[in-house]
Amino acid sequence: MKRFKAAAVVLVLALAACSGGGDDETTKAAPASQADIDKAMQTPTELTFWTWVPDIQKEVDMFTAKYPAIKVKVVNAGQGEPQYTKLRTALKAGTGAPDAVQIEFQYIPTFSLTKSLVDLRPYGAEAQKDKFVDWTWSQVSGANGEIWAYPQDTGPMGMLYRQDLFDKYGIEVPKTWEEFAAAARKLHTADPKVYLTNLASNQNGAYMGMLWQAGAKPFATTGPESVTVNLNDEVAKKVGDYWGGLIKEGVVSADPDFTDPWYQALNRGKYATWLTAAWGPVFLTGSAKSTSGKWRAAPLPQWTAGENKAGNWGGSTTAVVTGTKNPVAAAKFAEFLNTDPAVTKRFATEQFLFPATKALLADQSFTGLKPEFYGGQTVNQVFSDISGTVDTQFQWPPFLDQAVNDWDETVGKSFADKSDTGAALDQWQQRVSDYAKNQGFKVGQ
Amino acid sequence: MKRRSNLLTIGMLALLVYFLLPLFWLVVASTKSTGDLFSSFGLWFTADFHLFQNIGQVFTYGDGVYGRWLLNTLFYSVVSAGGAAFLCALGGYGFAKFRFRGNSTLFGVVLAAVMVPTTALAIPTYLLFSKIDLVNTPWAIILPSLVSPFGLYLMRIYAQDAIDDSMIEAGRIDGASEMGIFFKIVLRSLAPGIVTVLLFTLVATWNNYFLPLIMLNDPELYPITVGLAAWSSQTAGGGGSTGDLLALVVTGSMLSIVPLIAAFLLLQRYWQSGLSAGGVKG
Repeated sequence: MKRFKAAAVVLVLALAACSGGGDDETTKAAPASQADIDKAMQTPTELTFWTWVPDIQKEVDMFTAKYPAIKVKVVNAGQGEPQYTKLRTALKAGTGAPDAVQIEFQYIPTFSLTKSLVDLRPYGAEAQKDKFVDWTWSQVSGANGEIWAYPQDTGPMGMLYRQDLFDKYGIEVPKTWEEFAAAARKLHTADPKVYLTNLASNQNGAYMGMLWQAGAKPFATTGPESVTVNLNDEVAKKVGDYWGGLIKEGVVSADPDFTDPWYQALNRGKYATWLTAAWGPVFLTGSAKSTSGKWRAAPLPQWTAGENKAGNWGGSTTAVVTGTKNPVAAAKFAEFLNTDPAVTKRFATEQFLFPATKALLADQSFTGLKPEFYGGQTVNQVFSDISGTVDTQFQWPPFLDQAVNDWDETVGKSFADKSDTGAALDQWQQRVSDYAKNQGFKVGQ
Repeated sequence: MKRRSNLLTIGMLALLVYFLLPLFWLVVASTKSTGDLFSSFGLWFTADFHLFQNIGQVFTYGDGVYGRWLLNTLFYSVVSAGGAAFLCALGGYGFAKFRFRGNSTLFGVVLAAVMVPTTALAIPTYLLFSKIDLVNTPWAIILPSLVSPFGLYLMRIYAQDAIDDSMIEAGRIDGASEMGIFFKIVLRSLAPGIVTVLLFTLVATWNNYFLPLIMLNDPELYPITVGLAAWSSQTAGGGGSTGDLLALVVTGSMLSIVPLIAAFLLLQRYWQSGLSAGGVKG
């Protein structure tokens, strides 16, 4: 599939390149009045909703039970990239695009740049702000205050660790990255077959989460056609050199994740920790059954002792697609799906989506769960607390595919080859800035 | 006189192992439960033989959508392969046996088309099809798959050798129409070549991923490749995914190659003679 992916990226970029420009400047549409909204919600309408959340029909039914005039057709058009590829082709063709779509946080600028998303402010989105954890709201907000989507699920990052291995080798749960590095050396010396952690060389998402935690500002949109790219500044180098150094030293592995050897390694205790997101605990329960009871959760180690900071990896939103004939109904659908207490609770307990709403993150019946896989620890509580510490300033570039592709070929490659990560960071910076300039962006630092 | 090179034999055996190992892994892995899949040695069976439970689950998960995908794939590939083989036979015969203006130029165009990867054409095809509302229908998969430049090339080469000009002349003298000659005389002699093209297109359509990925939005229309990829991405990465589907992806992949292997074994005789006949005079 990798092959197809590369081809797809090229095609997608070609498409993105030829679809820019020509449109009018976005202007804030006049807010829809309550009467307009009521009328739209009582008019028989069919919405198409693209999402890859399994069994989401149950949640959608809760919406149609409240608004019987509206029918929602749920389509699973693939998870992540395959869906985006389809969405772009459909938008380009002008037919076949859905009304509402599931979209990951990191892709919002990419799609809002091409004017593919509807600003939700006219449909009352601003009033929903306080229901969501702060950082998730800033993730869905545009440079001019637009609101592009409603947060659905999140992935604040923490550390899952093997209590049994820590006990066996006398390792304390590291509180800082310095302690983490020392523990990595100690563990690998004690047993050369075990690594304190694995930083996957193919996983840009986890790496971006690390940058996020360190307070890096790799990308920022500073105007309609100007961006900043800082992939090799001081903070970025600190993170890159830290991981590049540990991998080069051989005390941290860099195996590709979500592959057969990686699953095997998790099951056999090759890695004593997995630095992962809030969706990690449930995922691990399903894919490393043989290690049940041995894992615990903790926040990520910190760059400065005593601090409490985190990044995010993954999670998604519901957005409304430009060109929909029913923007009011679609916007209200997206709102209901992600703010209604019963629906969001169902997402968290049935589909194990990690919540984005403050109410649910404070809900005892969610945070108080004590899964056996984690020895009865209240894992949700740990990640709930972490969610409150995620930096609100982090931004994604409007050309994510390219940035990720270039990362794979520079920084990721340096992890896999144990080569110079510092030089790879410079290359990454160079490639991404060159690309942005070629696309007509003003690039600053 | 028999001469054997040990080195060559060992080399061939090594290659054999290299090619069969992934297949063997697939067979072994599809007999395991999700728990065993990653906690036991990958290349051997475990005590807990889970194959039949897995197969059962593959066909029942998501209201039995896998069976639907299998039928879709079968339908797309058989129709595409049959259609493509027929068109190639017609075209190849025409190129080989009829002299007309632009014959060699047109054939040059066909040869050039062999070089264009179908993946590169997927998005332009989508834009075209969306104009005539064929997107998200089975036609969107079948129509592009009917075109096989390589098959046409193969059939021309094959027809040149396999059809004797005197046979056609004899037909004409006896008063048969050109179509009659094609269907009654030519088609029969071309059979081995047709089977070759049939198998080529069958495999190509069976394995086609990018075109259906772009064209289809409705899971009910997916072929197996896109469906399995959807399951697979559902297991990996965030958003409430669990590892439960992993065993199904593996078993589903194993099942998806069984019909292809069966097709090859059944049509093997024709396939071999077709390939070699085409290769004598190029």
